[in-house]
Amino acid sequence: MADTTEQGVTRREFLVRSATLAGGAFLSVGVPPSLLGGGQAQAAMAATPAYQPSIWFTMTPDGITTMHIIKAEMGQHIGTAFAQIIAEELEVPWDKVRLDMPLESAENFGIYGLAYTVNSGSVTTEFDRLLRAGALGRIALTEAGAKLLGAKLSDCYAEAGRVLDKTSGRSIGYGEILQKVKIDRKFSYPGDFRKVQLKDRSQYKIIGQSVPALDIPAKTNGQAKYGMDVFLPNMAYGALAIPRTRYASKVLSIDEAEAKKIPGYIKAVKIDDSMGKCTGWVVALAETFPAAVKASKALKIQADPGPYGKLSLADIMEEFSEMSKKTEESAAWVLEGDVDKALPQADKTLEVEYTSDMVCHAFMEPINCVVQHSSNDEWHVHVGTQSTGFARMTLTGYLSKVLNKKPEELKVFVHQYLVGGGFGGKQDYDDILAAAYCVKELGRPVKLIQTRESQFATSFPRTPTFHRLRGGLKNSQLTAMNQDIVCGWMGPRFAVGKQFNNGTDWLQLDSVDGKKQDIDQWSIGGSDHWYYVPNHRVRAWNSDRTTWAVQASALRTVSNSYNMFVVESFIDECAHAVGRNPLEFRLGMLNGKGGNRGIPNTGYPAGTPSDYYMDQLWISLPWPQEDSWPLYESGTVGGALRLANCLQVAAGKAGYGSKRLPPNTGMGLAVSAAEERQSPTWVACCAEVTVDPSTGKYRVNKLTIAVDMGLAINPNNVKAQVMGSALWGTSQVMSERLTYKNGAIEQTNYHEYTPIRQVDVPEFEIELIQSGRHPVGVGEPASTVVAPAVANAIFNAVGVRVRHMPITPAAVLEGIKNKKA
Amino acid sequence: MPTLTINGQSYFSDSPPDTPLLWVIREELRLTGTKFGCGMALCGACTVHINGQAVRSCAVKLGDVGNAAITTIEGLDPADAHPVQQAWVELQVPQCGYCQSGQIMQASALLAGNPSPTDQDIVQGMNGNLCRCATYPRIVGAVKRAAQIMKETKHG
Repeated sequence: MADTTEQGVTRREFLVRSATLAGGAFLSVGVPPSLLGGGQAQAAMAATPAYQPSIWFTMTPDGITTMHIIKAEMGQHIGTAFAQIIAEELEVPWDKVRLDMPLESAENFGIYGLAYTVNSGSVTTEFDRLLRAGALGRIALTEAGAKLLGAKLSDCYAEAGRVLDKTSGRSIGYGEILQKVKIDRKFSYPGDFRKVQLKDRSQYKIIGQSVPALDIPAKTNGQAKYGMDVFLPNMAYGALAIPRTRYASKVLSIDEAEAKKIPGYIKAVKIDDSMGKCTGWVVALAETFPAAVKASKALKIQADPGPYGKLSLADIMEEFSEMSKKTEESAAWVLEGDVDKALPQADKTLEVEYTSDMVCHAFMEPINCVVQHSSNDEWHVHVGTQSTGFARMTLTGYLSKVLNKKPEELKVFVHQYLVGGGFGGKQDYDDILAAAYCVKELGRPVKLIQTRESQFATSFPRTPTFHRLRGGLKNSQLTAMNQDIVCGWMGPRFAVGKQFNNGTDWLQLDSVDGKKQDIDQWSIGGSDHWYYVPNHRVRAWNSDRTTWAVQASALRTVSNSYNMFVVESFIDECAHAVGRNPLEFRLGMLNGKGGNRGIPNTGYPAGTPSDYYMDQLWISLPWPQEDSWPLYESGTVGGALRLANCLQVAAGKAGYGSKRLPPNTGMGLAVSAAEERQSPTWVACCAEVTVDPSTGKYRVNKLTIAVDMGLAINPNNVKAQVMGSALWGTSQVMSERLTYKNGAIEQTNYHEYTPIRQVDVPEFEIELIQSGRHPVGVGEPASTVVAPAVANAIFNAVGVRVRHMPITPAAVLEGIKNKKA
Repeated sequence: MPTLTINGQSYFSDSPPDTPLLWVIREELRLTGTKFGCGMALCGACTVHINGQAVRSCAVKLGDVGNAAITTIEGLDPADAHPVQQAWVELQVPQCGYCQSGQIMQASALLAGNPSPTDQDIVQGMNGNLCRCATYPRIVGAVKRAAQIMKETKHG
């Protein structure tokens, strides 16, 4: 890659530049993308052709400033948050702000970087540099404005879209400046970029305001556009015939006789699954979607069920239990002190097993896409996805195989739309590959829509899990804790991308036990909790068969969603075992000792759990590096003490231990610092639950939640995200369960897979703690605390400990009966 | 060829009479505000009004519609400013937004029949509409706010 572009821009420069277009002048602000971090992975994953500055926003002479948002808009209103951050430093009036979503292409990948929305990381990772980009844009405009006003630069300042001269009182609008002069200002990078003076937070006018989200009006009048709302001329429809198994079945024959009787039926396409995606897929094509659905059911397909055809959930759970006995085959994830030595020295030990079921995203918008192969040999994908970048790369890899072409010969474009719910589940691209294959076979554009039934059948579930926990208590303190985790690791499945991505290693972290084997953070994270336990060990096993059989994947907070249930339930068990108050027991261990103090900006010793990906992998996750990035505070600063503060706030507001409660009612606590050790959002929850002892049914009466997210860019929206994710957690513990039999997922629609509805919603109290720290993500973390808080509340209500998620009324009732017996 | 009356306009469809109304509205007539969620009247994303009643359009057959007056989210209010829509924006209800057309159509039908609903009325009346982002508490708040706006505009 050249260091200088054709335009004479070097990689060490940050550009504020205006140019003349047909529609008038515009100003663009950008930075060389290769310096956006993650360079190694980006370079490995796709060649970046022409090197160009990334463009974060453009301003036109009417003063309208359009922010280019490469993050998926899937309910978190991320575009509004980003626009607030840029507008604050750029001094653009809020009513001049607009959003758009750049087209994904090989060229734009070089301009914008990897478009990937994941990990609740958007604000965390982009906040600092969006501020700086806005500030440099303001400086360039102020300089130009001062000249036009004939004023001294030192007398000029920008405010609300104008440059003002303090001395004369005269001013000029940004738009007018753009009309009158050509701006071509270069700043050094990272020098000027890092040095630029940012506002003190006390001066913020737009950040911290609950401005209405820019994407909301269109979501109330039918105008919002999702992938399914795209129409192309001469388009055919595709519906997936439900494959024999979730994964690895093989189609032997297709009998179209009955399907051919359906008016509008075109043909059945057996999808090329040579990349290990879309296995066993047959798509029925027709002139309308209802005809395609009818045909998909009318097709008689013979299939070899493949290696998982007789596998069921019970077999998987049995395997997990057996695997956990082979400690020599484990990989250590946390290794503090010496658990084996400390346990025998304890006064009291606990050993218990926990399990969790599979769940799936069940987003309201089933997966869909429209694919077109244009007459000039371009492939266009229209879709709402968490990563237009990976969608393009995956499709490029697939097409290169099925068309027998070199990837660089393929022109693939991905058009982003609103995402009708993502939750981690819209980062697989099977449907796009299948639609593209149909396009190849048919020679027409194809809109592929999953029916709810095919969506469940091909969903990407959270793995089932098995945990064995041992705790040692001495002098009523938890001195030793061991957690063994067996599950399917999602990482290796994502590493299918290795075939497309020149060997990028998705499992970059090694175990800490000297064996240095690959270990999957996404399947274990959360077990590396923030309690000070002098002897702490976490061991993990990967059931590779499970990973592939069920297609284990990322689901909102990934492994935290089960590990926090397990850890926080177990901590409560330990407190009760020695007769201590779970609140006081927790606070004693949230003391910020050792690695739980939080990580200073200078980084921390290699080998510390979870220390890897920020500076190595994906996106532009900026782990501060001396040479390449402005330093800003790590979200971990403050460590466990911030978690302790959240816990005190939630417990205090809820009246934990002091409120008079009705019969069979209890309160339970839980804390969490999801998503990863590196990217914590500090959350505590107190749940109040009433149990009907005659049926085991329970109701969550109230959730009191305290969140320290550092700084709330848009407090009203932060509350919406916290509430939504807490209800996600409520749904997981109360009523979601996906089961697997003979290689297939059993649930077919919302009558069998039952997320919570209005009647299940508890009362809420949410406290946002603006600790003045670096802002961190809020789209997921609160989903992790509800399940354990509910479990602990049920124990406090009726004395029953349920060690399985979801907590069914049957399990509670059984516990009540066992207690009586 | 069946004639449909949607948002006060006449449309023709030559689809088979057993075609779900949803797909005629969405893919044929391209009124895409009405969403597909489940196809079995389980989630409410496809809710429209038929003669003023909230109905799951995925479970209505084209051949059964007859002369009924159909209203979709696009036709709820000429200025997109139905009290329910106003309240939805004011309380910032939508997250991903995919279910919200259905929620709004359900809520507007609910309020047309019961202008002063209790919290319990709202929870029961809206219980058939799934929202995976779980905007449920704001939906309840916004239905109440919409009821208030309706009263203000009537008497104000």
